[in-house]
Amino acid sequence: MNVETFRYDNKIVRAFAIATVVWAVVGMSAGILAATQLFWPEANLALQYITFGRVRPLHTNAVIFAFVGNGMFTGIYYSLQRLCKARMFSDFLSWFNFWGWNAIIVAAAITLPLGFTTSKEYAELEWPIDIAIAVVWVAFTINLLGTILKRRERHMYVAIWFYIATAVTVAVLHIFNSLSMPAGFLKSYPVYAGVQDALVQWWYGHNAVAFFLTTPYLGLMYYFLPKAANRPVFSYRLSIIHFWALIFVYIWAGPHHLLYTALPDWAQSLGMVFSVMLVAPSWGGMLNGLLTLRGAWDKVRQDPMLKFMVVAVTAYGMATLEGPTLAIKSVNSLSHYTDWTIAHVHTGALGWNGFLTFSVLYWLFPRLYNTKLWSTKLANYHFWIGLLGMMFYVVPMYTSGVTQGLMWKQFTDDGFMQYPNFLETVLQILPMYQLRAVGGLLYLAGVVLMAVNLYQTARSGKLVEEEEAKAAPLSAQPVHEEKKYRPHRFLEAKPVLFTALTILAILIGGLVEIVPLYLIKSNVPTIASVKPYTPLELLGRDIYIREGCVGCHSQMVRPFRSETERYGDYSKVGEFIYDHPFLWGSKRTGPDLHRVGRKYPDAWHYNHMEDPRSTSPGSVMPPYPWLLTQTLDTNVLPARIKALRKVGVPYPDGYENGDAQKDLASQQRDVVVGLSLGEVNAKPDREIIALIAYLQRLGTDIKNQSQTIAAQ
Amino acid sequence: MIKNVLTHIGGIGLYGIVSICLFFAVFVGVLIWALTLKKGYLNSMRQLPLEDDSRLDAADTTPSRDE
Repeated sequence: MNVETFRYDNKIVRAFAIATVVWAVVGMSAGILAATQLFWPEANLALQYITFGRVRPLHTNAVIFAFVGNGMFTGIYYSLQRLCKARMFSDFLSWFNFWGWNAIIVAAAITLPLGFTTSKEYAELEWPIDIAIAVVWVAFTINLLGTILKRRERHMYVAIWFYIATAVTVAVLHIFNSLSMPAGFLKSYPVYAGVQDALVQWWYGHNAVAFFLTTPYLGLMYYFLPKAANRPVFSYRLSIIHFWALIFVYIWAGPHHLLYTALPDWAQSLGMVFSVMLVAPSWGGMLNGLLTLRGAWDKVRQDPMLKFMVVAVTAYGMATLEGPTLAIKSVNSLSHYTDWTIAHVHTGALGWNGFLTFSVLYWLFPRLYNTKLWSTKLANYHFWIGLLGMMFYVVPMYTSGVTQGLMWKQFTDDGFMQYPNFLETVLQILPMYQLRAVGGLLYLAGVVLMAVNLYQTARSGKLVEEEEAKAAPLSAQPVHEEKKYRPHRFLEAKPVLFTALTILAILIGGLVEIVPLYLIKSNVPTIASVKPYTPLELLGRDIYIREGCVGCHSQMVRPFRSETERYGDYSKVGEFIYDHPFLWGSKRTGPDLHRVGRKYPDAWHYNHMEDPRSTSPGSVMPPYPWLLTQTLDTNVLPARIKALRKVGVPYPDGYENGDAQKDLASQQRDVVVGLSLGEVNAKPDREIIALIAYLQRLGTDIKNQSQTIAAQ
Repeated sequence: MIKNVLTHIGGIGLYGIVSICLFFAVFVGVLIWALTLKKGYLNSMRQLPLEDDSRLDAADTTPSRDE
């Protein structure tokens, strides 16, 4: 037979592996900074750039896209070449992928602290960076599919299907969620508003978890676990069912992030049912992983790499049982907006993604450098310190989540709220926040041990830059045994068709979920008294977005007595039709703000922003003194009004040429007068004035409606 | 025209039913598909990740769930 000699590219694998370790340290350090600020706000060193609202997205982006992203590429670039018996399709695209992706991360690390954010979770980056992400992702996809097309192994192993699903789905998600209207170089407004924006965002957000944090890592599990255990996967049949069931179901489940919100009920129920069904394929995958180790548990005792892998797969099982549980509406009514969600995502991030990445790195480095791991003992220390860190993180977060959730809902025997002051429920859980930071610190310490171990391993060997291999080209390989038509076998030999079917599977879910919202007017009942924001309120809202207030404050009062008693009338879907983007939030570290408008005098807000503890003793909100001194940039107003008009906000034509500025100045004076009533002297051109105008507007339009009706 | 039709589809509850049926059909299809696959083929697929590494013991004879 005609056998070809070729070389695997190990240099690109090493580059991604190093980036993975570096970004792990950076991303987790940002996490510890954020965690510390939650019980000690002064940890922001009075700098606006590292205040919680800006550090949180930095942490999530660094961990998801930098750490896990590079980890994913490390594993894919190594395993894909070997499973395809081919070098990567294009060296240029490989390095374009590497430098492009890491440049994007650097851009994120610069723009997020500076306050350039769309505020949409895990999609915070502004439009020029979004375009760069799309370009780099397309390069990766071409490289992936190109390698598969020139493979020397007729059949595509299950890991490759997961890689294909990752590549195409992330592209679809990213593009649809990032559709926005630029209003300047680093500012844009999404084309969707209110409930549509929320639904698209959580369709994206949920599936970023599915197709960025889960499917590529399942592919890595199906490759590296059999490798490390030196035995084939437990059941290949189960892996086929796992794959198709998972990608078909995952995409429908997004609305479970919006239960009991103003999202139409049918969409909520759909999201809930599909989320519960998700447990089946997820556990199929987990069992397939764990059962691969049957008869090899003695190896787990000796090999730290397998230890990490076992905990990773177990954490995957726990997180995917918990996820569907949290998606049940009655459970969600308690868990949503609390630290329970934080505990849940960290079981996934620290356990599944973190430990699986560590496992792959410990396995790869000795092979890339043709040597032995420098210290197995140190790797074992890493394992135990990491596991301990995870426990110290997750257990306190469950405790604080359930405690606070129950306190929010507690009524006295006489029917009054037991804890009417939100702050009381926060002070109760502060010790948990401190423990959580300790947990994070332990976990990071483990990563540092790993970095040392991997560095020493690399030093003790020499990088095998190009690894020689031999295989016959596909054209020279006989098509064995089966003349008979076998559907999946047929599919595995046809990557293009396979990719098309994968796209079809994920698009069906996406379309059924979203199309009706576009087309059926009755889904968004309009409220006549709801009007667009005034120019000053608009700029105030942009400051709210810049400071990341949405990270701690929701704007969505759910229809429970415990919430309407605490915050006011529950939120209606028609109130958000001019909200580009929606700011419903997903976590209440502070109280909901949707009905905060006119609840307090202007001066209260002024004093509160200057020093939250002057109005709310013990508050963990950071002070925002810079808002009192920084001048409001009104030059951006025309571009922003024009952009919003283009996406459907009915500002009159030409409003931005003069009238808007007049309205702005007049409202600034009104706020200054309002402040003087509370004995606060403020200049009208400061940022705080705009923010107060916005906060005082929040949720008040609907009150105007009842006043109008009363007057009639 | 299409927009008009879709704007007037009644009973949005139907969406839930349709999606469950669709999922069920796909799931059953995949299940049948997987169950009809031949053992010899499944075993050769399972071995794919282990093939490229000469350091591994090729004589590993763990019985497979698929056999």
